[in-house]
Parts: sequence; structure tokens; C-alpha cells
Amino acid sequence: MIQFSHVNKFYGSYQALVDVNATVNKGEVVVVCGPSGSGKSTLIRTVNRLEPIQSGQVLFDGQNIHADLKSTELNRLRARIGFVFQNFNLFPHLSVLENIMLSPVRVNAIKRFDASQTAMRLLDRVGLAHKAKAYPAQLSGGQQQRVAIARALAMEPPVMLFDEPTSSLDPEMVGEVLAVIRSLAADGMTMMCVTHEMNFARDVADCVWFMDAGKILEIGAPADFFSNPQHPRAQRFLSDLHVR
Amino acid sequence: MLSNMIAIIEDNWLLLLIGQYPNGPLGGIISTLILSVLGIVLAFPLSVLIALARLSRWKLLNWPATALVYIVRGVPLLMLILWVYFLVPLLIGDSVPGFVTMLCTLVIYEGAFLSEIVRGGIIALPTGQMDAARALGHSQFGAMRYVILPQALYNMMPSILSQFVSTIKETTLGYVINVPELTFAASQLNNRLLTKPFEIFAILAIVYFIVCWSLSELANQLEKRIIKQRLGEDQTGMGSLQHGSPQTQGAT
Repeated sequence: MIQFSHVNKFYGSYQALVDVNATVNKGEVVVVCGPSGSGKSTLIRTVNRLEPIQSGQVLFDGQNIHADLKSTELNRLRARIGFVFQNFNLFPHLSVLENIMLSPVRVNAIKRFDASQTAMRLLDRVGLAHKAKAYPAQLSGGQQQRVAIARALAMEPPVMLFDEPTSSLDPEMVGEVLAVIRSLAADGMTMMCVTHEMNFARDVADCVWFMDAGKILEIGAPADFFSNPQHPRAQRFLSDLHVR
Repeated sequence: MLSNMIAIIEDNWLLLLIGQYPNGPLGGIISTLILSVLGIVLAFPLSVLIALARLSRWKLLNWPATALVYIVRGVPLLMLILWVYFLVPLLIGDSVPGFVTMLCTLVIYEGAFLSEIVRGGIIALPTGQMDAARALGHSQFGAMRYVILPQALYNMMPSILSQFVSTIKETTLGYVINVPELTFAASQLNNRLLTKPFEIFAILAIVYFIVCWSLSELANQLEKRIIKQRLGEDQTGMGSLQHGSPQTQGAT
């Protein structure tokens, strides 16, 4: 479903991604982990071209998203890739319901009534139907992130990307957000998730990618990766986290 | 002195209020206000377009807009008024009323200044807002229209009001091309009475001060309210700011 091949990305002379090759299959949950600055967030942001790359390909559903696309084609592709940010990035001038309805109505030309029905159903799913009329500023971080997930789901994307979805949350709010992501995984959603929550990774991931210095150093099933990492850098990373 | 001023106002308040209307063109403070309001209202959409052009990556849009802003900002308003005064009649081959000349000039001038305010308001928003809108599939235009501009324009309201206050003061320059407005009315009065220039121009100063000061005060109140709203968000928003997130910075 998502395929990286020979992806290289530079910030000036600094190489942020080094010849990345990997595949996310349909229905698979991939967790990307690694130390800060290893290129995890950069990698996930290349999937919907929020970050441009200098060489290589990122295929989504067989289409190279970094090809020379018309902007309307790129927008259509992006609309089919759900993306959840570390900082939520809800639209503060819109109510929770309007946050979720905006893109179905304006991008997919769904009728307002239908869009609001879908939005309420999704809010119910993330346990926030009672907050539909609230504004983002009136919500806790965990609630904001659950709204952000509902907002992404409203576009009915076949794949969801999570860029450190719990990193800016207070510890007691991490659980509620992970619970929503877990339920998506249980429904068979294809997902790619950058996270530092190793317990979550162990439980939910079908596959773990370990990155450092812009390279994917190890790809493995969570059971193997967490109990028996192959690469010395991964061994050191995991022992630093005390998860072994 | 004070009794003289009161007497002058008692005798001539209508002239200061509406000029020679209905026997001549509408003037006085009403004309000043109409000129300022029209100037800002017409300059505003222009300024949004200029700001978007300046933020555009297209050189064809970016370059002329940038040039316009730099030229207008680098030239005295009086110079601009004289240019429009002599150039526009040549271009359209007919004489143009002073009011229209002044309005055209103000729209260009305020458009350039407002565009810098608009551009600043857009740049000040966290980049995550544009990222989120694009990630959801909005076009650049759609993201601006539905996500960025509504927030930016709201945050900019106090600055726009301040710009309106300077516009009111700038309309006085219309005097040099005989635009019937408040300064023009006062000057007419001075020519008629001849012996009381100090009183007349004191009245003029006081009127401008009252109008501009109250509007500036309104702008201050507005700014305080917007800041308070943002701080209120800090508390109720359970501190996404405490985590160093820029999320709530450009909030309603």
C-alpha cells in the first residue's frame, strides 16, 4: 500500500533520509521507532509529501506521490491519506464538529447534513459526541488528539499515518488516545505510526521499523525486535529504554 | 479664547459637520469619515490579494506585488496624491473630482500598508495549520480561504483599526487638491473669519483628536480582548502551550 524505494532527503547538506527502502502492506500496522532526530517524522511526512524528497519514490496505491503531479492530483491523493500530527493542529476558529466536517464538505463535496451525521458518528466512536459544539481550546490535549483522529477518519482514508500522536500529551491522557488507535488497528486499518510508546508498539504492531541517522536499520516482527534485536544500535536503544 | 471657540462652533457647526452640502459638495467631518471608511473598505480586499501575491512562490505574482509595496511605502503620501491628481485625468481623459482622486490614492496607499499587516498575520500562524489543511486534501487556495485567513484576519483586527485611524489623519492631505473634508472646511472658515486662525485650528485639532483617540482606544480594548481570549485558552486548553506546542497561538 505504501512503498518507499531508494528515498533520499537532504536539508541543505544534511542528509535526513538515506536510501530508505520499505513497504507497508494493506491491513498492516507498522510502528516506526528510533532515537530523536533519526528521521522518523521526516519519513512519515514524505508519504503525503508534506516533506519533499530529492530522489527515490514513495508509492501510495501504486502511484508515486513525489512524481510530477498536477496539484489537483496531489490533493486527491492527500485526501486519501489520514494524517495525525504530534501537535493535533485542530483549527482553533472552528468548533469540534466543524473541524471534522470542513474537509468532507469542502474537499469531497459531501452535503453538510451527511457530513455532520458522519462527524457525529466518528465523535461517538472516539467518545467525544458530547463535545461536538466545543472549541478546540476548551478540550484537553487527549481530547484534541481524539478529535484530530476523527477529523482524519472523516475523509474515509484507506490508510492512517500517526506522527508521534502521544508525544505532546500529559501521561494520563496517553491511554485514551492509544485506545482509539488500538481500536482502529483491530478494525484492520492500514497504519503507520511513529511513536515512543514501546508497550503500545509491542501490542499493536505487525511490524517494527527501527531508524537511526536517516536509515532503517532493522525491520522485524515486534516479538523478535523487542526480545532479540539484531542491530547493535537497536540493542543499545532498547536497553536505554529499559524495555527488554 | 474658549468662549470664542464655542461661538465659532455654534455658528459654523454645520459647515464643520457636512461642509457646504446641500448647496455644494458634501464635506466636513462626515466627508472625512466616508473617505476613510471607503478607503479602508476598498483597500482591504486589495491588501489581501497583494499579501497572497507576496507570499506566492510564483515570481510573476510575487515580484510586482513586492515592487508595489516597496514603492508605495518608500514614497510620501503627498507625492502619491499629486501623481494620481495629474495622471488619472490624463489616463481617462476627463477631469476627476478631488474626492475620487483622494479615494484612489488612499486605496493604493492603504492597500500596500494593510497588505503588510495581512502578510504578517498569515506568517504568524503556526505552520501546522497549513500542514493540517494540506494533509486533509485542501488546495493551497482552500487552505487559505477556510483555515488560514479566518484566523489571521481575526488576529489582525486591532492592527486594521489602527490603520484606519492613520487613514483618518491622512485624509487631511486631501486639502492640497481641494478635497472637501474637515480640514478644507476649517480652512474655508478661516478664510471667512480671517481673525481667528488659532481658535479654528484648535477646534480642528480637538475634533481629530477625539475621533482618532476613541478609535485607538477601541483598538486597544479589542487587542486586550483577543489576548485575554488566548490566555483563557491557555488555562482551559490544558496547556498544549505548556508542552511547547504552537497550536493555540493563532487561536480565536
